[in-house]
Amino acid sequence: MELTVSPAPHIHGKRTVSQCMYNVVLALLPAFAVSLYFFGIGALIVTLSSILSCVIIEYLIQKYLLKEKPTIGDGSAILTGFLLGLNLPSNLPIWIVVVGAIAAIGIAKMSFGGLGNNLFNPALVGRVFLLISFPTYMTQWPLPGTSRWNYTDAETGATLLSKLKEEGYQWIDQVSMTDLWIGNQGGSLGEVGAIALLLGFAFLLYRRIISWHIPVSVLATVFLFSFALNLGGGESLQDSHIWQSAFDFALIQLLSGGLLLGAIYMATDYVTSPMTSKGMVIYGIGIGILTVVIRQWGGYPEGVSFAILIMNAFTPLINNYIKPKRFGRK
Amino acid sequence: MKKIDSTFWNMLWSLTLITAVAGGLLGYTHRLTEEPIARATKAGREKAIQEVIPEYDNSPIDEQQTIVVRNEYGETPTIVYPAQKEGRLSGAAVECSNNTGYSGEIRIIVGFNADGSIKDYRVLKHEETPGLGAKMNEWFRSEKNDQNILGKSPAKNKLQVKQEAGEVDAITAATITSKAFLGAVRTAYEAYIETTKGENHE
Amino acid sequence: MNKTKILLNGLIKENPTFVLLLGMCPTLGTTTSASGGLGMGLSTLFVLICSNVAISMAKNIIPDKVRIPAFIVIIATFVTILQLCMQAYLPDLYETLGLFIPLIVVNCILLGRAEAFAAKHTPGDAFFDGLGIGLGFTVALTLLGCVREFLGTGHIFGLPVYPEEYGSLIFILAPGAFIALGFLIAIIHTIKTR
Repeated sequence: MELTVSPAPHIHGKRTVSQCMYNVVLALLPAFAVSLYFFGIGALIVTLSSILSCVIIEYLIQKYLLKEKPTIGDGSAILTGFLLGLNLPSNLPIWIVVVGAIAAIGIAKMSFGGLGNNLFNPALVGRVFLLISFPTYMTQWPLPGTSRWNYTDAETGATLLSKLKEEGYQWIDQVSMTDLWIGNQGGSLGEVGAIALLLGFAFLLYRRIISWHIPVSVLATVFLFSFALNLGGGESLQDSHIWQSAFDFALIQLLSGGLLLGAIYMATDYVTSPMTSKGMVIYGIGIGILTVVIRQWGGYPEGVSFAILIMNAFTPLINNYIKPKRFGRK
Repeated sequence: MKKIDSTFWNMLWSLTLITAVAGGLLGYTHRLTEEPIARATKAGREKAIQEVIPEYDNSPIDEQQTIVVRNEYGETPTIVYPAQKEGRLSGAAVECSNNTGYSGEIRIIVGFNADGSIKDYRVLKHEETPGLGAKMNEWFRSEKNDQNILGKSPAKNKLQVKQEAGEVDAITAATITSKAFLGAVRTAYEAYIETTKGENHE
Repeated sequence: MNKTKILLNGLIKENPTFVLLLGMCPTLGTTTSASGGLGMGLSTLFVLICSNVAISMAKNIIPDKVRIPAFIVIIATFVTILQLCMQAYLPDLYETLGLFIPLIVVNCILLGRAEAFAAKHTPGDAFFDGLGIGLGFTVALTLLGCVREFLGTGHIFGLPVYPEEYGSLIFILAPGAFIALGFLIAIIHTIKTR
């Protein structure tokens, strides 16, 4: 199956949908390796069961419910499953992973008409479905590096963001930035290793799978907005310490939680993001603002997935207002 | 009969007639149901009180007192329903609220034994997150780890979450709700102590 | 007019929830459990029959220009009567449905049927139309309530089917209402067109 992602006129390229999908999977491997190192066997079980159940569910729906030729070979179900797995805690029981896969493939993808017609990012719908459905399971994060050989009975703790939300900002100085960069923190299994995620970003840019617009505008918005918020709460702008702590705060907002994973790999999903560069920047800024607003004032400590889903809903509107220039026009 | 025209007088008498009939019907129904409604409301309150306090032979609702508690949560109006058995105070149910939860007001009713230990409690109203904070109606009643607060007394036990150096396990992933809930329990206890002081002086 | 035909029209062909998509607010709001859906459906059924018959009887003394306020007063009267009676004799159900009872007044099914059917037909026909539409609404709400309660908590009408911890909480919350309703409409549409 071939999928056209840009408006006319088209230039035929050799790259197919499945090549795109496999390139993204390849780009995610470093982050997956980091999670294997810190979360051990649980990361492997959750990811594999997520990929497997996504592929099987898509096959079953296409074959028996829609009675059409299964297209699991295009790799999109594998990518959805991989991304869903990376968005889950590594101690999640398999049956919940399967429920998430049903929500991702069954509700978000196939009921809208399959690949290319879905309004919302399937992996994120799966994650949010689970977060709302099983909040206890979905807010228990295994501690990194402590119990690699335990699966569902791994030792758990809160993520940095939920600690910030519940206990306030007073201990922000004690956060180790190195841990955040290499991934020594609690969280969904694929979101912890900042360096590994950025490595994948570079790879995707190099292969021209995605453009820089969405990730950079999301990250810049979150950084600047958090920086300004923290500065606004400080007492005196003369004090250099305040600038420093605002910078630290903004950096923590960037490196913790699912922001990098979301901005690089999920907000950039072709089907659910705008087509033009200008549209992409607007979309990215929207995600950034919503993320900070939810983290700061919302009911959940983390808001990236909600922010992306909300902006997914705005994509048709953005596409409608910001149309690419017609060929030959100024 | 032919449909009447939309003249001013027709509209006037038609609407007047309809509203008059409607008003009459409603007035009649109101008279019929006034007493049963009052009875049902009282029975509902009575049921909540019965669930949380020891046996009594007086009428706690008729003897209720409103007490304003001043503590770290500001001024909280509470309602104390004293329970008496054979003329002696056997405990009380205290209805009070706390606004420091995750969203909106948490309203609970706590029953105390005469010695100030907690007999039982019920959550009357809340808007906490379903599946997390909303579990408080069962959480602090179940005999598991250090969740249970029944039988404990705010005077002897430190009824605060472990994160605040207390001795109660907070609801998993809902520390804020747990703090607010226990805050309401402590407020209720203060109100209860306030009323028993009065009893002793009598 | 054929009474059975009127009845079946409301129940199946013009089912207010699955076909006309009317009255969505109580549909999504009260179906967190099967009994909530059933209670809401029966309340609406009661008001719908009463208001349909009353409006049909009074249609000739209501001038066209003031028909909407007249209909609303009639509907609101029956809703208030229902509310008072429920508060008095079924306080538990009243507690569950709460605000949604007075909101029956603005449910578009009632005004819609008054305008489209009762004002043009005999009281007898209007009774059967109210019964049909009301039953259609009740069946739909109960069905949706069953699905949501089953998937969300593992219960049906409060009876446990599977352990509650395996239930997907989302189904008893607002987003689950939309998802469940969407899939139910799709399934019913498929069955009907087959």
